[in-house]
Amino acid sequence: MKAKTLLIIILFSNLFAGCGEKTTNIDIVHDEGKPVMALDYRDFDQTASALVQSLLGSGALKKEDGSRYVVATGRITNDTMQRIDTDQLMAKIEEEILNSGQAVMTSAVGSGTDKLVHETRELRDSEEFDQSTIAERGTLIAPELSISGKIFQRNIRYDKKRQQVEYYFQLKLSDAKTGLRFWQKEIIVGKRGSSKSVAW
Amino acid sequence: MNRLILFYISVVFLAIGCGEEREPRIKVREGVGSDSLISNVVTRPVVKAFSSLIGAGIVIDEAVARRNDAGFLELHVNGHNKSYNTKRFRYRVEWLDSDGLVIETKTSVWLRVSAMGKSPFSFKVVAPRTEAVDFRMDTKKWE
Repeated sequence: MKAKTLLIIILFSNLFAGCGEKTTNIDIVHDEGKPVMALDYRDFDQTASALVQSLLGSGALKKEDGSRYVVATGRITNDTMQRIDTDQLMAKIEEEILNSGQAVMTSAVGSGTDKLVHETRELRDSEEFDQSTIAERGTLIAPELSISGKIFQRNIRYDKKRQQVEYYFQLKLSDAKTGLRFWQKEIIVGKRGSSKSVAW
Repeated sequence: MNRLILFYISVVFLAIGCGEEREPRIKVREGVGSDSLISNVVTRPVVKAFSSLIGAGIVIDEAVARRNDAGFLELHVNGHNKSYNTKRFRYRVEWLDSDGLVIETKTSVWLRVSAMGKSPFSFKVVAPRTEAVDFRMDTKKWE
């Protein structure tokens, strides 16, 4: 009798263990997963794609003499309730700007600053380094254009059971010398779902 | 007597149908414009049901690729929705270089578009590389 009970317990344990949700890899290119209330990678991909197409299509990055603009990434404010690393958006946009062949990004200033660019210059008086391999004064190139923007969120009660979350992605391209704005674009990502879902 | 009623109904229907001013560039939707013989409170549910039954969907009328002033290939897609319901779908464009090879880009993602019932729609896609000379586009349902 005892052996039978034990066998049943073991069988049930094994069955339950098998019923757990298994982990799967997401097909990033053709993801058929359901949308979520928070911002996920698909929202960033689609928004970045729309922003890049608008920016490149506008011709704002085309220089008359055929040379390339130097572009710096300025401040991208995250005003949503989510902890977003704005690089999630900007890395894609910067990559496409670079690959377009119409502009180069700078790591000397802005939010994309590479500390080493400045740290290596602090080695000018160090006897440990061959001074001819250290960048001379006046070699950094100042940006001609800067990209800045904002991501913000609005939560609206749609009805008793549902809420509407609106995410606004705003980006603008300005001339660093004159301050004139050459391009700007807003993309809205709207989601409607259960009020119980937390959008952050 | 019956003939008179039939004649009266016919005249009323014809008058409704004839009262419309047709400007092809302006879409006057049901509930906004006047009812007609083809589209009225009686026929509309039948036509919609039939449209759903036969699975009417979108039709791509033309895809025009042209190079813009910045040197990028632009794809302009024009089409129309044959269905009476709004059709939402996704599209993904891949850009091809002169060798017919796909150019890898972060912009080749599934993007959304929606077309209202019995209406034309259009959208534009810009290649992010000047090397793009051709394209291929795929569509799928917007879940």
